[in-house]
Amino acid sequence: MSGALPAGVQVLDDTTVETDVLVIGSGAGGATTASVLAAAGIDVVIAEEGDWVEQGSVVPFSLDQMDRQYRAGGVTVALGFPSIAYTEGRCAGGGTEVNSGLYWRPPGELLERWRHDFRISDFAPDDLLAIADEVEQAINVRTVPAGHSAQSEVLRSGAARLGWRHGEVPRWMTYPHGDDPARGERQSMTRTYLPRALASGARLLTRCRIDRLVMDGGRAVEARTTLDDGRSGRIRFREVIVCAGAIHTPALLQRSGIKGHIGRTLAVHPTVKLAARFPDAINVPDDVPVHQVKEFTPHLSFGGSASNPGLVALSLLDNWASFRRAVTDWPRMSVYYAAITSEGTGRVVSLPGMRDPLVTYRLTARDKALLGSGLARLALLMLEGGAEEVFPSFKGAPSVTSRRDVGTLSRSFSASRASVMTVHLCGTVPMGEVTERCGADSFGRVHGCTNVRVNDASLLPTAPGVNPQASVMMFAIRNARHLVDQRSSHVR
Amino acid sequence: MRPLPAPPVAPFAHRLLSDDLPDLADDRREAAVAFVERRVATLPSVMRLGVSVLAVVFRAILALPGGWRIARAVLALPLPFVPEYPRLVRSLAYAYVWETWPTTSPTGAAR
Repeated sequence: MSGALPAGVQVLDDTTVETDVLVIGSGAGGATTASVLAAAGIDVVIAEEGDWVEQGSVVPFSLDQMDRQYRAGGVTVALGFPSIAYTEGRCAGGGTEVNSGLYWRPPGELLERWRHDFRISDFAPDDLLAIADEVEQAINVRTVPAGHSAQSEVLRSGAARLGWRHGEVPRWMTYPHGDDPARGERQSMTRTYLPRALASGARLLTRCRIDRLVMDGGRAVEARTTLDDGRSGRIRFREVIVCAGAIHTPALLQRSGIKGHIGRTLAVHPTVKLAARFPDAINVPDDVPVHQVKEFTPHLSFGGSASNPGLVALSLLDNWASFRRAVTDWPRMSVYYAAITSEGTGRVVSLPGMRDPLVTYRLTARDKALLGSGLARLALLMLEGGAEEVFPSFKGAPSVTSRRDVGTLSRSFSASRASVMTVHLCGTVPMGEVTERCGADSFGRVHGCTNVRVNDASLLPTAPGVNPQASVMMFAIRNARHLVDQRSSHVR
Repeated sequence: MRPLPAPPVAPFAHRLLSDDLPDLADDRREAAVAFVERRVATLPSVMRLGVSVLAVVFRAILALPGGWRIARAVLALPLPFVPEYPRLVRSLAYAYVWETWPTTSPTGAAR
């Protein structure tokens, strides 16, 4: 925690709490949900497992931030061959507090495909994109006001030389210090939708982990919690909306005995990385590039990662014996990634007696080949962007200084020897009316339950191929409004 | 759901860092190992269980005469998930060392 908490926020200390609607989780799904419901006059409690951490009190992408705002200090893995490292926010505001803040609307044709394939009712893309307009205003989505960082310029200039499609991705930022791009303020949930919810009367309980929901048939009657001091607590409600993210939402539903299509279709954007060294200083330890290269979308995209000295060392680790010589050059180095839209799937399985779920993910042969060709193309992009040497992150990788080396890289790549990671997790409770493929209905109500809803990235039917948080906010607002309308019509 | 005990990673982490970064000062290595221990203690349940098993096995191996040589031989075997153990320890330790002391040389020497 950092200093005094905002009005309406408190560390959970009561063993019994009562509310009309309990929202579990305060990230992109939970904060927007709570904001809509509270504005409609509904009594809302938001339960957040982590702390409220004031923006600016931690250095972005640092180990300190990982300790305070990430689940398990950022060390979480989906087991497989290869295993895939992933990260999740665990703090007020969730992932919006710790990610890059890059904003992508989901493509209209993807929304149309989801509507058709999963039979989602009242899902007109135009209506959703109207909500996107509102979201973009609320979180101040905009491009950088002045020049871009050198890290970003590498992506732009490399793509331009290769004739590849590229562009700046807008972010949810304000620039209050004379439009200085290095001093932007992230318009995450603790700056936008959570204050709105609190101003409308919602209460936010931090350090409030929900162990399980107590079910009576298809109806949830209360949530069981464990307080910091070990006491057990309960939160009673009329309705519960689970927004704990694509891993912990299905895990909580499973722990609560809810069956159905829950946790079987984890979808991610697997990424592979490299570090590139340039002739001049390039490293920005606490920010990420805003350009992305989209020449090969929807299958493959390229962008830049956080690159503080610790993360540069990490990217050299797979070939430490031959790459370690570069570690002291970190001021001239930066880390970049190739992300794929995967055809593989994963599972989230809650195990008896275990606090956290088992997470697995299986890449297909096509996925593995795509990661290899993606990494090779990324290395080429780096050379064209001015890199003097490129260090791919897989065991046995050659360093790359010429186009000829790119061919060697491509031939020697093996996904099972690569450090694969992801930050985009979704699809574990897909929404729609195809009950054999969907865990929730067209508005997030869990199939087979009367008062349990999901409203986060779990609902996305598949990985969207772009940063999913715009989609999450759009869907959450849509579904929360539907609930408000339903209740109003009930009262009338 | 009682938390599992913290995996005993320190003996392996010490040995691995001594090998990888021979010039890292003792106090820095202690600090890096302590960081690895802290992080491993907060791993999600399933990972913590897996790491605990590996940590106990490697602690036992390291207690044998020539233990590090045996440990390296075991790590070279094509066993599932076993190579993830040194990778995890290295990931945490290297990130800590270079974030805390960014001018550290490739062998661990302070600059």
